[in-house]
Amino acid sequence: MSTENTLPAKPAPSLGNPKKVISALAIDTFLWCYAVLVTQKVIWEKLIMNVRYPEFTWNQPLTALGIGFAISLLLFFTPLSLGRAFRGLYQLDENESSLGKPFAIWGYIIILMTFIAGLHMSQVSMREFLSDSGLTGARRIFTALFNPNWNILEDALFAAVETIYMAFIATAFAIPVAFLMGFFAARNLMNANRLLFAIYSLTRFVLNMSRSIEPLVWAIIFSVWVGIGPFSGMLALMLHSVASLAKLYSEQIESIGEGPIEAMTATGAHPIQVIWYGVVPQIVLPYLSYTIYRWDINVRMATVIGLVGGGGIGTMLMQYQGLAKWNEVGLLVIVIASIVWFMDWASSKIREAIK
Amino acid sequence: MIQVQNLVKTYPNGTQALKGVSFDVKKGEFLVVIGLSGSGKSTLLRCMNRLHDPSSGTINFEGEEMTALKGKPLRLARSRIGMIFQHFNLVPRKTVMTNVLTGTLARTGIFASIFGRYSAEDKKKAAEYIKIVGLSGKENIRADNLSGGQQQRVAIARALMQNPKVLLADEPVASLDPATSHSVMQYLKKVNEELGVTVICNLHFLSLVRQYASRVIALKGGKMIYEGQPLDIDEQWFQTIYGEDAVEVTIN
Repeated sequence: MSTENTLPAKPAPSLGNPKKVISALAIDTFLWCYAVLVTQKVIWEKLIMNVRYPEFTWNQPLTALGIGFAISLLLFFTPLSLGRAFRGLYQLDENESSLGKPFAIWGYIIILMTFIAGLHMSQVSMREFLSDSGLTGARRIFTALFNPNWNILEDALFAAVETIYMAFIATAFAIPVAFLMGFFAARNLMNANRLLFAIYSLTRFVLNMSRSIEPLVWAIIFSVWVGIGPFSGMLALMLHSVASLAKLYSEQIESIGEGPIEAMTATGAHPIQVIWYGVVPQIVLPYLSYTIYRWDINVRMATVIGLVGGGGIGTMLMQYQGLAKWNEVGLLVIVIASIVWFMDWASSKIREAIK
Repeated sequence: MIQVQNLVKTYPNGTQALKGVSFDVKKGEFLVVIGLSGSGKSTLLRCMNRLHDPSSGTINFEGEEMTALKGKPLRLARSRIGMIFQHFNLVPRKTVMTNVLTGTLARTGIFASIFGRYSAEDKKKAAEYIKIVGLSGKENIRADNLSGGQQQRVAIARALMQNPKVLLADEPVASLDPATSHSVMQYLKKVNEELGVTVICNLHFLSLVRQYASRVIALKGGKMIYEGQPLDIDEQWFQTIYGEDAVEVTIN
């Protein structure tokens, strides 16, 4: 990291946009603070000193922040400042690649440090991966998995049917709700006045909130609420489907042509008639396609949700896995894979046919 | 029949599309509005049936003040003003018949129209208008499978279903080839002369204006700068309307 060679043009005395300078300094401070922390906690304490239980106090990050700020102030006007590069404060030759510049090299070092810290954090260990006992265990499981116990096929199929129906009902219940919410969440229909826009914002907010909570979490909540079983899984899937279908629906509504809406309004039609004739014919096919795709996703998710007590084949899988009955687990894996493969194939065929 | 007084339209982004336009429309005339793109022609037509709300000014339509209407009275007033568009704006994936029947939405109940139950009288009338615009036999073909000229004729039939007193035509031939343009203009003329519907039409081509218009007004930068007979537009007026360097293009 020599700072002497091929310097970009020296920074002019005028700093440029003060907002940009401040944010550039903030970026620099953050990066240096991060570098100091990683060096101290991971590279020094763990890898070099090999401390088993490193202490943590809030003083450490605060000190790092102070040091980081000092270093970035010191180096702000040298070509090592990444913040200035991010905010476009260097006067660079557009035709020249900036990949070899000092600040870029400093960037590579940060990425390398993150990689080392990441390897350490996720406890990557070749020794564990290739250890004798580990390999024996793996061999045992794989042998069992490849010798599935066909005696429980009947139960497995029954559970699979439960899963598929659960996903179907979740999708079916989600459609009308998502259909209505889709209109409320479509900007082009809701920007006529302030009240409508408030409804739009509220709908968007509710949808984003419920979508940002994983169905797995909803399943846990509902399994406490209505008890373990397909019903709680169905509720979790339904909630998530409403949120994501309504978003897809509203985006479809936002991308339609204004022409038919204008024409229907001009005939003197009631707003509901305008939507029925000006909007609906433009969205039916994409809606159908999204809905079938959603059912497909729900079947796959239903399996995962079963793992936390959402019923169906997932719950069965969890039970056998808990008992370490790997032959049974092997059969369940085969059944799940076939369902997922079949649903994938069927939904793509149907979606192709209605194009 | 229609008196437009001091019409001003300022869009929310600050663009002043109309800066005080006043004119009268007489019953049965074929009024053509000309002007460059962006001169306010489309905005003018859209203000007349309140697809856009004018910022100020008045529009008196058969004794009724359009700018004061709301809700059902507005919808009923709109239904007496037919409109056709540059891009036809038909309902996609629906048949010609259904499209023509949407012209009756203002007098058909909401549920009846959702379930497609139109009165027998309206259906008979729709078939008649489809025949008038020369599309008989195509009633059950999807409208988006027709050619541009045919789609515009469906749009004319749809507008006629409203029993309109006035027909607004916003650049009805701008996306059609010259031969089809003439055919569509012929149908508009027929509607004007045989059914007695007043037509207000935006056009680009002066050759079409001279052939079909009974009166012309010209807009420039949101102001009306010319009003008169189509044949009175000479070289000098042409350059005032379209700019110094403009050269007239004709379609035959």
